[in-house]
Amino acid sequence: MITIISIVLTVSIYAASIRVRARYRSPLFGPVVLSAPVIMLIITLTPIHITGYEHAIKIITYFLGPATVALAVPFYRNRHVLFTNVVPMVVSLVAGTLASIVGAILLGRVLGLPASIEAALSLKTATAPVAVALAPRVGANPTLVAGLVVLYALIVTFIGPRLLTALRIRGAVARGSALGGIGSGQGVAEALTEGEATGASAVVSMVLAALVVTVIAPPVVHLSSNL
Amino acid sequence: MIVAAVLQLAALISLNLLGRWLCATLHLPLPGNVLGMLMLFALLSLRLVRLEWFEPTARLFNRHLALFFIPLVVGLLALPGSLIRSHGLALLVIIIVTAVVGVVTTGGIATWLERQPRDEQ
Repeated sequence: MITIISIVLTVSIYAASIRVRARYRSPLFGPVVLSAPVIMLIITLTPIHITGYEHAIKIITYFLGPATVALAVPFYRNRHVLFTNVVPMVVSLVAGTLASIVGAILLGRVLGLPASIEAALSLKTATAPVAVALAPRVGANPTLVAGLVVLYALIVTFIGPRLLTALRIRGAVARGSALGGIGSGQGVAEALTEGEATGASAVVSMVLAALVVTVIAPPVVHLSSNL
Repeated sequence: MIVAAVLQLAALISLNLLGRWLCATLHLPLPGNVLGMLMLFALLSLRLVRLEWFEPTARLFNRHLALFFIPLVVGLLALPGSLIRSHGLALLVIIIVTAVVGVVTTGGIATWLERQPRDEQ
């Protein structure tokens, strides 16, 4: 019963957040950024508590599997963007992902983070369903990974467009790759507001970046833990 | 309509399960859901399945992807509070710095490679 209440609560708050998002375009009003704190507050203040919510987490999270499989459809629909820009997209995404991972590990060392948190940080550029699935492979907590992905994507979405404009990066492929490939789902939503071409390259980049993280994050994390 | 949606959902779940089973059995170094996605992309590219068969349900999943990981973010409540107290500031610094690094590297290199002159064309 408490699980059903938790699921209904989650879906209702999410549905409400979509309405708010439709009114305010800022990344600060993204569905996850709005919903998660509200749900946290409600379950803390009611007898549901996090212990009662845990079964709902398992049930809803199960659908991250088929949701990831479904990413093949927009990737396929926009594949021409990749085929015509293979070199800039693949090279820039590998470099950007690697820079973000290595930067996080180096800063983590300097600031004294435990290895498991460094490992969680290495997955933050991947879209949440893939990052969460990769968590056990690098020895990171899936929940922490999900939280970091959302926070990272929020920051990327918030500063990304201004940063790119300040650097006079105007090409749709470059902006789409940076926003979708580094800022995953929230970045794609932002890129879509810039136009169709930027949105299409962001969608393709998000999927491509998830594959790049799948390939490079586990070896880089294992390598760094031996240094 | 509903039958089609159920069949599409069943197909997506089956591909996910098949991907997980293959990865576990063959010890592949990638998550099952990612393999499932690659298999669906291959099926679409080889025209063994039609885009229209998957499109409505896939669009629903893509549009509402956030819903499926919101509960995980809520689950942060169960993590020890000491984690945020002792490492929260460091995490925030790292996230902001690497967000800048990731965006500038990706956008910069993509722009640079796009602008390279091509001789043969």
